[in-house]
Amino acid sequence: MLEKILTDQFRKKLKLLFTDIQNQQDRRDEEEFAKDEQRIKTQLLSTVDPYPPDVLLDEDFLVAAIDGSGTDNLMLLDDVRVHLFSTASILVNTNTQAEQVFEPIRTELIEEELGEQPHLETHWHSGVRYDASKKLAETLAEVYPVKDIANLVLPFFKDHSGGSISAYSDFTGTEYERRVPSLKDISSLISRERILTNPIVHEEIRKVSEYAAAHNILTSKFMPKYVMLDGAMSVFMHHVFKYPSMPSGFMLRELASLARKENVILCAVSKNHTIPFAHKIAKMARDVFGEGAKWFCHLPCSSDPGGGLHIYEDRTYIPPRLAVPYLFSFSRDNRPSRIDFDRIWWLETIFVKDDPVATRNNEKALFRELEFMSRDARWYGYPVALALAHEQCKLSYEDLRLAREICRDVRIEMKLDSVKTEPYRADYNL
Amino acid sequence: MRIDKDTLGELYGRVGVGNQTMLGIMGNNRDVSVGEIFMIYSQRDGHERVFFFRVLGLENYLRQVDDMARVAGTLMVEGDAYLSGIERNMLLSVDGKMLGYAEKIKDEWKFRSPRRLPDHLAHVYRPIAGTSDEVVQEMLGSQTDGEVYVGDLQIGEGTLDVPIMMPSKYLAMHVGIFGSTGAGKSNLMMVLIKSLIDTNLEAVTNPQEDLPKISAFCIDPHDEFAKGVDNYGIQNIIESMDQNTRSSLIGDFYYLTTHLSATQKEIRRYGRDIRILWNEIQPRDLYSIMEFSSEMYAFIEQVYSIHHENWIDTIITMNEEEDDIGTTKGTLRAVKRRLKFVERSPIFIKSGQSVLGDIYRAMESGRVLVVNTSLMSDMEQFLLTTIVTRTLSDLRRALKSSGNLSDFERQAQSRLPNSFFSSIKKSARSFYGVGGVADDSPVRDPRYLPVIQITVEEAPSILNPRLMRGQSVFKDISRQGRKFNIGLLVVSQQVSVLDNVILSQMNTEINLRLGNEREIKACIENASVNITGFENEFRVMSRGEALLTASYRELPLPVKIPLFDDVFERDMDRYKGKSSKKKVKHEL
Repeated sequence: MLEKILTDQFRKKLKLLFTDIQNQQDRRDEEEFAKDEQRIKTQLLSTVDPYPPDVLLDEDFLVAAIDGSGTDNLMLLDDVRVHLFSTASILVNTNTQAEQVFEPIRTELIEEELGEQPHLETHWHSGVRYDASKKLAETLAEVYPVKDIANLVLPFFKDHSGGSISAYSDFTGTEYERRVPSLKDISSLISRERILTNPIVHEEIRKVSEYAAAHNILTSKFMPKYVMLDGAMSVFMHHVFKYPSMPSGFMLRELASLARKENVILCAVSKNHTIPFAHKIAKMARDVFGEGAKWFCHLPCSSDPGGGLHIYEDRTYIPPRLAVPYLFSFSRDNRPSRIDFDRIWWLETIFVKDDPVATRNNEKALFRELEFMSRDARWYGYPVALALAHEQCKLSYEDLRLAREICRDVRIEMKLDSVKTEPYRADYNL
Repeated sequence: MRIDKDTLGELYGRVGVGNQTMLGIMGNNRDVSVGEIFMIYSQRDGHERVFFFRVLGLENYLRQVDDMARVAGTLMVEGDAYLSGIERNMLLSVDGKMLGYAEKIKDEWKFRSPRRLPDHLAHVYRPIAGTSDEVVQEMLGSQTDGEVYVGDLQIGEGTLDVPIMMPSKYLAMHVGIFGSTGAGKSNLMMVLIKSLIDTNLEAVTNPQEDLPKISAFCIDPHDEFAKGVDNYGIQNIIESMDQNTRSSLIGDFYYLTTHLSATQKEIRRYGRDIRILWNEIQPRDLYSIMEFSSEMYAFIEQVYSIHHENWIDTIITMNEEEDDIGTTKGTLRAVKRRLKFVERSPIFIKSGQSVLGDIYRAMESGRVLVVNTSLMSDMEQFLLTTIVTRTLSDLRRALKSSGNLSDFERQAQSRLPNSFFSSIKKSARSFYGVGGVADDSPVRDPRYLPVIQITVEEAPSILNPRLMRGQSVFKDISRQGRKFNIGLLVVSQQVSVLDNVILSQMNTEINLRLGNEREIKACIENASVNITGFENEFRVMSRGEALLTASYRELPLPVKIPLFDDVFERDMDRYKGKSSKKKVKHEL
């Protein structure tokens, strides 16, 4: 392969590709960005005013973070694929008074309250028709702590309808009325059952495991100020049903609702994101605020004052439904990241109607805290709690290799067929 | 479980990777230094063992950090950066050498070379002074015991109260002290002299126990042993003795010097002038310290065969024109030139009172002599050492080849200058005869006579391959000294230039800080036990720190040699009468 990659021919192929992108994409987007440029610069971008390193907060607080990892191929038994999930919950204390900033809460204390860390979960399904859907529903029902389907489903509709739907009876006369039977158990909430590929099943369970961990934190004795998730707060909607196409969408809204009730700031941070022109916004921030400035940028939606940005007019997933995304950068060395907040919370807590200055002050206070929790030298610019959660949950290749060996051991111990547990390609030394 | 693990010290870490020779340990972020000794508690297959591990390298290890340099860089550049909860993730990755293991067999601790491996993830303990001393001393008993105290077991920069001793029986198999200038050789020599005196004191005060006595002819090239370097010296030991003890341990003198009249009054009381008669010098004494051509050698031998002990006088006074031996003028002049230093020397005298007989008597009585050679030329010092060594060796050799005193006398007469032997004959008979001094009295086995240690200072000058090729007295002693209970104490700044014969015969080395990489390499190659990998340790050794290796021990022992002043102050009361019988800590 290398001899092909190192050829001029490959370079030419890439040049053609980039030229194509440039011609088709960039030019059009450049025009769109030009329309937003001034607004971003003057209204949406702002600096973070960092706390001094030796700040003593009046009230120290806890930050919780959840991250998950896993594989959809722990082992393959004919058409049965075994999934493995690892979910970790981390809590850190700002602890400025004791001068031990962002000291992690001891694992033993977390485990006492939230169970073993990281939490391991398995799942399997076969290729038999509907088996994937059935088993997915079973696993999700088991994993997520809210067992009452009404409590699980209604928060979405309540937030989505602006509060007009808060009980099943409220569906009467709405476009959802005829969907009510489908909203009464988890399996019928899986409306993408025809495309339940292994990666989709895996992603759904992983997401729900993380939401479940967040839910457990919100109902625990810890009472953090922040609960941070890894990823975005996007909810994939069924374009016909007009509600989430998978149970995780309902669970996220249930979680957001619980967080609001508990007065906890729920947010999701993604390093990998597809916000267009993020690099241009970052450059603009550097030009305006200086090379080393720490900044954030609100990405408004159509219902915000001034409406949405032109750059994502045709990208319907930005901003996500019921979420408020921001771009931010707390370090000159990193590309900007994205953070999403629950829109209902944002409207209640950050946004001040007709008062952009007050809104900005609220945003600045929020990002000041977020920046403070993102100064660990190991992951400078990224929230330390999330980084620690990532470290705790990640499954390395070596971990997986061992997990597969143990699968084999356990099967032997159970006197089941001793099958190879390595990926099939290993048989051919591939 | 028989070992109380709490006594091993502080639980420090866990065994990570490695094999039976080198191990990697993951430990707490403590102030560990190269050279520390850890103990690894292991229980494998029902065998409870304590492995000894010596730290040779340290590396900071941060869990969750793959790129330490990047983190350090971020902390530098971003002034507000912190490291959340990093304390518990800060570990030390410790590399080192397995020294061996101790195992209790039938209630007795045995120490073995590293031929096994500790159990998986075995616990590692860091000894604590005041807690671990007793158990370490017990486990290392076979590696540390003996009669001659050298220092205390060093663990990093500190020590445990585990005295490191050398058994007297191995002193005749030669000891090497290697160290660069300022490494602490003089202090070590003073500590050793004190230990020898202490050993003799024990033997004298407990005659019923048949304890060994050790004699030593200690060259003091800077005249600092008697007076001391700081506050105290050997003289203070002598002065702190009561009359009886002093008389038993040093007799009339312990100090030899070239100019007694110029010596401090207090020391002078216990001193003697070094005077050796020309007729006590034998040709091979000179062959041992300087080179002679075959013509010169033939000439000297011829003169010696005719004139015997008067050979030097004969040559010196020989008229070139009246030479009846038939040598060339050139050879005669060359030999005369070589003898010039003898002729001019104030210590080698044609006639007068020799001290050689007194030296002999002291050496056979278990006494320690301090020989101030600071005013001697190198050649004078070398010749003196050679004469003393050869004389003692000849007498013990004669003894070894005899069945009774009559045999001995015959043997000794054939080896030694007549006049000298006549002067010590009576003493020799009393030293060597069993049950009397009659001709038919059986003689003693040299193994039961005091061990004699002869210091060879500036050893490379006489123990070099060039001189050792010839008829060197030291070649014989190095090979056969043990038969006669005579050992060399070779003191040198360099190892690399010493002759292989002496190096291969040496079975104890006290390696102090060395000057350069070449010497470190030579020292490691020469050590009686495998100390490969200790290069870094030699590089960081401080003054007074040493690595003691011995062929009769499996464990290379890190030793901290205490200051002479400290050990003297600690023990000064023991030299007085009754209290001298009191056991002190460092005696077994």
